[in-house]
Amino acid sequence: MAGPKHIRTPLGRVLGRGAAKSGTEHFWHQRLTAVANVPLTIAALGILIALLGRNQAAAAQILGSPAVSIIMLLFVSSIIIHMRIGMAAIIEDYVHDESAKLTLLMANTFFTIAVGLAAVYGLLKLSFGL
Amino acid sequence: MVQFTLPKNSKITEGKTWPRPVGARSQREYRIYRWNPEDGRNPRVDTYYVDTGDCGPMVLDALIWIKNNVDATLTFRRSCREGICGSCSMNIDGTNTLACTKAMSDIGGPIRIYPLPHLPVVKDLVPDLTNFYAQHASIQPWLQTVSPTPQKEWKQSHEDRQKLDGLYECILCACCSTACPSYWWNSERFLGPAALLQAHRFIMDSRDEATGQRLDNLEDPFRLYRCHTIMNCTKACPKHLNPAKAIAEIKRMLVERQV
Amino acid sequence: MAENGKNDGSAPAINGRAYPIEDHAYDVVVIGAGGAGLRAVVGCSEAGLRTACITKVFPTRSHTVAAQGGIAAALGNMGEDDWRWHMYDTVKGSDWLGDQDAIEYMCRNAPDAVYELEHWGLPFSRREDGKIYQRPFGGMTTHYGKGTAQRTCAAADRTGHAMLHTMYGQALRHSTEFFIEYFAIDLIVDDEGRCRGVVALNLEDGSIHRFSAQMTVIATGGYGRTYASCTGAHTQTGDGNAMVLRAGLPLQDMEFVQFHPTGVYGAGVLITEGARGEGAYLVNSEGERFMERYAPSAKDLASRDVVSRAMTIEIREGRGVGPKKDHIFLHLDHLDPQILAERLPGITESARIFAGVDLTRDPVPILPTVHYNMGGIATNYHGEALTKKNGNSDTVVPGMMALGEAACVSVHGANRLGSNSLIDLVVFGRAAAHRCAEILAPNDKHPELPKDSADRPLSRLDKFRHASGGTPTAQLRNKMQHVMQNNCAVFRTGEVLEEGSQLIHQVFNGIDDLRVSDRSLIWNSDLVETLEFANLIEQAVVTMDSAVNRTESRGAHAREDFPDRDDQNWMKHTLSWLDLATGKVTIDYRPVHTYTLTNDVAYIEPKKRVY
Repeated sequence: MAGPKHIRTPLGRVLGRGAAKSGTEHFWHQRLTAVANVPLTIAALGILIALLGRNQAAAAQILGSPAVSIIMLLFVSSIIIHMRIGMAAIIEDYVHDESAKLTLLMANTFFTIAVGLAAVYGLLKLSFGL
Repeated sequence: MVQFTLPKNSKITEGKTWPRPVGARSQREYRIYRWNPEDGRNPRVDTYYVDTGDCGPMVLDALIWIKNNVDATLTFRRSCREGICGSCSMNIDGTNTLACTKAMSDIGGPIRIYPLPHLPVVKDLVPDLTNFYAQHASIQPWLQTVSPTPQKEWKQSHEDRQKLDGLYECILCACCSTACPSYWWNSERFLGPAALLQAHRFIMDSRDEATGQRLDNLEDPFRLYRCHTIMNCTKACPKHLNPAKAIAEIKRMLVERQV
Repeated sequence: MAENGKNDGSAPAINGRAYPIEDHAYDVVVIGAGGAGLRAVVGCSEAGLRTACITKVFPTRSHTVAAQGGIAAALGNMGEDDWRWHMYDTVKGSDWLGDQDAIEYMCRNAPDAVYELEHWGLPFSRREDGKIYQRPFGGMTTHYGKGTAQRTCAAADRTGHAMLHTMYGQALRHSTEFFIEYFAIDLIVDDEGRCRGVVALNLEDGSIHRFSAQMTVIATGGYGRTYASCTGAHTQTGDGNAMVLRAGLPLQDMEFVQFHPTGVYGAGVLITEGARGEGAYLVNSEGERFMERYAPSAKDLASRDVVSRAMTIEIREGRGVGPKKDHIFLHLDHLDPQILAERLPGITESARIFAGVDLTRDPVPILPTVHYNMGGIATNYHGEALTKKNGNSDTVVPGMMALGEAACVSVHGANRLGSNSLIDLVVFGRAAAHRCAEILAPNDKHPELPKDSADRPLSRLDKFRHASGGTPTAQLRNKMQHVMQNNCAVFRTGEVLEEGSQLIHQVFNGIDDLRVSDRSLIWNSDLVETLEFANLIEQAVVTMDSAVNRTESRGAHAREDFPDRDDQNWMKHTLSWLDLATGKVTIDYRPVHTYTLTNDVAYIEPKKRVY
């Protein structure tokens, strides 16, 4: 019978590389955005309903108005941050292969930044008509 | 990277049905997980019938009855039989709990017993708790002080002592940790509710002077923050403690010290 | 199978197969990880001795964990107190069978030992001013019997749990080397009678481990499981006592078995004496607080032997409660629910689970239940094991110590006071560590172990592992437990004891017909239970025959045919040896130490024991 590949004490294994001394910020931001998401989502839904049945020009005018635009910008940023942290947690929970995990975390970051920036760009374009 | 076959020994087969007790007026059916590492076979579930007229009321009484009267090879840990030593924790009727304080009358139908989930099995209902114990040791479960030790006791106010209630009573039975999905997926890096409850016990002790280091050692995406407040730990705890609340308190303290 | 490590020891071939042996060498090997064992381990580690602790259960699962009421020490936090008063109470509790030098040592050092536990983090209950809370307990008085003392320090009613977890934490802090779930089979004793270590079975993989040690400390607890109903754990099988008997050494005062007045009727689990300390009381079927008749001044807080006898008399005379009139009620329903929740939460839960009773409304059905063994391995107050050799009954057995319930120091004499056991554990655990530090040199070279050092343990293991007689272990164990329960109970008579002796010897002889069904090596609990039973029956035989022999009543040994204490003939310790081949018990005596350790306190003269 071949011997085990690694021999470590149980405590050595648990202590591992030590505490990362991080995570609290993510935890705090996740809670913060969760709270923000409640009014912002209601407001965004309201805006969405208000857009129903309108033509493109009218919709663009509403979305371009300062108050609506700011609410939508806040909504998008809060949701995107929340989504990025949440998705990262899921990846960390279930993906145990280190390189796969790093790749997925990277992809998660790229994806959320891309989606977030696209949405922000769209909203700003409607506001400023660039 | 992806494993398409089940790990060795994970397929449980139907085991032996042992004879019913003769002349028993009332009996209960027990379906118990069996695995002997020495016989080279897959795990199986054996069926036993317990004469409830000849046996105490608890599930542990039934296990002992089986061991004494039917099958002496049935293997499980037990000691105090009053819910304080934490030896006989197992999965009974789908819930992690202590066999000695779980009454059979609280369970309907056949009583199904498995070892605590997601731990390596040593034999039958005996799991390997090495990693669990090491996690408990890693939080340094002893009082740490810097101030000169007084000749008599460290004074502690009545209120401060009350903050330890619900924390120090943990019996290290591992029911909570092994009920936690986060612990199932990340038991090598997530400390689990039992160890975190004990960490909190020392953080909350007004006599302890290492709160800062203790918090430092917990501040980690895996050690602490794998807790997603699923609450299975609190639901499972046979001593009615609340590890989920203790973990939430630790997180709150970490936020408070930097916000 | 898991690897057994290096196989460089002698491997005697038994039944045609060899058991590989792994060898270890330590300055100190402690067997048992309860309160006494852990305290010794921590002390020896602190002293720089290379220390190992072998335990058959994970340390926090040892039965110290179930101690409820508290730990006695004259701190004086709740009013005046003095260690001399504590000493007086202990001597009186022991019915003058305790060695007064050892009792002085314990009571004097008790406060320091308690403060040390507190410094280690034990979460004691507190007074409003921040000091440790102390509660009244049975037999604990002030001014030499005049007032009621509040001397018992408590962590609610989970003191043992808090203490054991605290000490386990200290052991971790000192990076103690634990051998967990290792079952000690037998001691290694060389030709000169020096204890050289122990051979143990690793339950996890069935491997054999031989520990060579300068000092072997036996802290294996009591043997309550010789009885059918006891408050103790299933693992409470006195393995160390039995190993000592097999090493040809005597056990002391084995006839003294304490019945705790308040075991839950049926289940046998403990309701702490602290309940009565907080104001609970006993009533019979007529609703009478009968203890007032038996102990006019201490009442329900009389010594345990006194209360157990009173309850037994009440039941016998037809004043028991319940349909069979065979038990007694303990009332707590008059106590403030807030007090119950704060100071007695554990028993509130136990009563609900095991008696189906809500303490705040109904009384708990209870019965005197086997609880503690005053007898055990004779030791001096350093913890060193003693034997009688060439007329000297204080001959130290070199290389061997005993602590806690396994030992008979003797501080408890014929009857232990509640909350004196926890203090016994820590004071003598500490004393033993100090003694080790004093007499051992760290990392000293060990002389070669005797060639046949593993033969006796391994043939013993092999015999039981392959036992294929007609009687399953459980059946014979059941027989033993019923003989002890029926013939060696609260009240004893010559006739009943004689019959008991015959019956228990029959059980002893039945051991050759045992059958073990599990032949495996990994976690073979059938084998372990059989080894434990073999340990129990040896102690049962010695207990019964010592009880037959003592023709007086003293403390927990109450002979109806000899109702009085007989200081003339019997103020002496019983020493009993067991011949393993025949089961014959040989009895000799040791004088009680009728002197104190220092001149700070005078010898307490025997007098009539009334509460």
